[in-house]
Amino acid sequence: MFSTADLRARKRALKIFWDKFNKLIESIINEEEPLLEIPKRTLANTVYDESRKLLLLGTQKLTRRMFDAHEARKFMQTLLMARIIYEALLNDEYPTIRDLYYRGKHTIVYRDHKGRIREENTWDEQKESDSVIRDLEVLLGLLREEMLILSKEKGKVVGYMRIKSGDDIIDLSKMGHGAYAIESTPDLIEFLDVDAEYVLVIEKDAVFQQLHRIGYWKKHKVILVTSAGQPDRATRRFVRRLNEELKLPVYILTDADPYGWYIYSVFKIGSITLSYESERLATPSARFIGVSMTDIFGDPQKGKKPYLTEKERKHYIIKAKPADIKRAKEIINYKWFQTKQWIKEINLFLTKKAKLEIEALASKGLRFLADKYIPEKIAIKDWIE
Amino acid sequence: MKYMASLETFKSLSPAEFFYRNREIAGFSNPSRALYQAVRELVENALDATETHGILPIIRVYIDRTSNPMHYVVSVEDNGIGVPPQFVPKAFGQVLFSSKYKLRQTRGMFGLGAKMAILYGQLTTGRPVEIITSPVKSKRVYFFKLMIDIKNNRPIVLEKASWSKKKEWHGTIVTIALEGDWGRAKSRIIEYIKRVALVTPYAEILFKGPDNSYFYYPRVTTKLPRPPREVLPHPYGVDLEAFKMLIASTQESRLEDFLVKSFQGVGKKTAQDLLRKIGLPLDKSPKKLSLDEIKILVEEMKKYERFKPPRADPLSPIGAELIVLGLKQILQPEFVTAITRKPAVYEGHPFIVEVGLAYGGAIESSNEPILYRYANKIPLLYDEKSDVLWKIVNELDWRQYNVSFPAPLAVLIHICSTKIPYKGVGKESIADVPEIEREVRNALREVARKLRSYIQKKQKVEETYRKLTTFVKYLPEVALSLEILSINPETKEKHVDREQLIDKLLKVLSRKISEVKVSRDLINKVIVSIE
Repeated sequence: MFSTADLRARKRALKIFWDKFNKLIESIINEEEPLLEIPKRTLANTVYDESRKLLLLGTQKLTRRMFDAHEARKFMQTLLMARIIYEALLNDEYPTIRDLYYRGKHTIVYRDHKGRIREENTWDEQKESDSVIRDLEVLLGLLREEMLILSKEKGKVVGYMRIKSGDDIIDLSKMGHGAYAIESTPDLIEFLDVDAEYVLVIEKDAVFQQLHRIGYWKKHKVILVTSAGQPDRATRRFVRRLNEELKLPVYILTDADPYGWYIYSVFKIGSITLSYESERLATPSARFIGVSMTDIFGDPQKGKKPYLTEKERKHYIIKAKPADIKRAKEIINYKWFQTKQWIKEINLFLTKKAKLEIEALASKGLRFLADKYIPEKIAIKDWIE
Repeated sequence: MKYMASLETFKSLSPAEFFYRNREIAGFSNPSRALYQAVRELVENALDATETHGILPIIRVYIDRTSNPMHYVVSVEDNGIGVPPQFVPKAFGQVLFSSKYKLRQTRGMFGLGAKMAILYGQLTTGRPVEIITSPVKSKRVYFFKLMIDIKNNRPIVLEKASWSKKKEWHGTIVTIALEGDWGRAKSRIIEYIKRVALVTPYAEILFKGPDNSYFYYPRVTTKLPRPPREVLPHPYGVDLEAFKMLIASTQESRLEDFLVKSFQGVGKKTAQDLLRKIGLPLDKSPKKLSLDEIKILVEEMKKYERFKPPRADPLSPIGAELIVLGLKQILQPEFVTAITRKPAVYEGHPFIVEVGLAYGGAIESSNEPILYRYANKIPLLYDEKSDVLWKIVNELDWRQYNVSFPAPLAVLIHICSTKIPYKGVGKESIADVPEIEREVRNALREVARKLRSYIQKKQKVEETYRKLTTFVKYLPEVALSLEILSINPETKEKHVDREQLIDKLLKVLSRKISEVKVSRDLINKVIVSIE
């Protein structure tokens, strides 16, 4: 009934849980103070590894004590979540993070120090239970996908490629107008064969659909992926595996604005909030293909001509909002954006106060996007590392 | 003293007529206030007749309706020393100023207030006052029905009877019919009785209203406050009129002897020194002093610095112990403290400040302290906001003493003095006198400091329990989680049981929190259910 990949993952996760928590149980039996040492998931404990070009979790740890007034609730939540996940693993279940939230949510009715009856939920919002799941991931060194926890599928892929998911073989070139939804547990996917020259990741789902329908991936032998906005973990892991295991170069196409840049950097080096998983999720060699500021305005220094005419710029450019400016100023301070090219990009943005959506290029002409813009940029290596 | 000064100009009126014309001054301005005032005057007389003479008071107050809905009958019974029958008509039927000019702290002034109540009752209902009395060693009980002949200020005895005592009883029962308004006066009267009971925990007080409202305050101690001792007036505290009265009643023929005999704090040497300074002959007859000479003498006496300070003997403070008892009994607080300050003096009048403080328990929280004001043991109910005591209590920065409002806080302040500095004629609020203010402020700070350390201690214990609750409430959840996490994935066997874990966790916890006993039943005490 269950695929062998699943069974293996389950067994491994159970063992890691059991080892970790039996140590805690033992310390309690020995009447030692119950505590958990969890790597800190804060910006301060986020380290940018220059040589590997990855955002990684630092070495700082927090000690979560059961008998510390500030930590007691979190301690209880951590153990409660651990138990629910452990039960799901034991029972061959595939909970989603929403399921875990509901399973763990109950009400403790107690008398407070003044004798008043009070009610307290083990957790109130899913934000709380999600946070505890992340704590468990770093505590156990086990990604939630490896604990067989599912999340909503967001990313999609098409291309000349066959994979094995569960016990089924899927041909990603035979998905019709739809696409293969990248599953929550991409590590359980087996790559069978592939015929592609590179991977193109598109931020916008609509542009992905357009390129898919005109057969862009067939013509150019491309694995076409969309993250449909901020990439989820499964999409990032999937892209990473394409790059790492199949040695395919990865190009990323986003809007020309600070949010697009950040999406690119999440693919490439990891995110601040989830830096602990960068090692498995990031694709350090991913390239930013566009849309860049110099694509819009040209680069006289390098003799680069803009892809848009004066008139088109007038039509397609959107004026940057104060929030965009603010975000750009934050990004320029991130170490991993402090390269010559990026500084030029961001400064150009700050001077022109202009942004552009990929759709604008598609409006100029889908053919322009598919036959000129992308292939030309790849051919002349006009990307940013 | 104010009455007397103005009385001089009304020589043609009988005192009874004068008081009737000025009844607002005495607190009989309307039926509601009059009913309150009558109860008050009679109760205060009753207390003066008992505790001042070392008798533990038993006081019963009844208010009844009559056939006229506007008229009420107020009856107050005490177990005091009683009134000798030959004095009853004058004591209750003639408005007099006492010729006796010795000083001591009493509640009412010369029993004037009770006579005012009798007068008011007579004029509004036309009914006489009834007195039943039996002096301490008398074998008989005497009964009188009296009216006051207002024009001539003379008692009219309507009925008189006596019978031999069957029970061992002494005391007085005074019954007055008067126009009143129970509906409006009710809350004040009940509050008044409560506040009297608060400072007389040695008294047994019963009150029954016309609507059968019923309050009973049992005696909680047999300790009486020290009764006041009579003393001579101090030269600093005597004004022109008082001085003239002293002259009128003296037997001395030499000015020097008059000063020594009529005042406290004046010895022969001091008297001589003073008179020489002013230039008055030592042997002049005091009765022959001219008005100008008297004026100079009174003024000079006030400036003279070598008198001994006034004595506190005439004062009768309630005492910290009784204040604590009273506050405990009536307010049922969780914390109570009180202090009696050392005697002090303002303008030649000795005074003592006492402050009690009650916190928490049955006291309801409010945005400002509940203030109980007393002057010579009389509760002050009206004009609270204009009272200097109110000002002092509200100016205190209570946050410094760990009290943040709303808070369940009651403050009792008692000023006793041979002369209370009232503000205005209503005699319901204390005037701003720097010496008194200072004493009250210091006393208040002292009790407030005690409250602070109590609150601090309490907060500490509470904090410990709060912490403990935080840990204990999660304990079953944690234990259950660990029990499940102890299932061996291969054999599916549990390695520990949650009860065992709870015991172990409690042991660790009890090591951590040593101030409180941590035991198994704590779990059942804290956790109601897990749903």
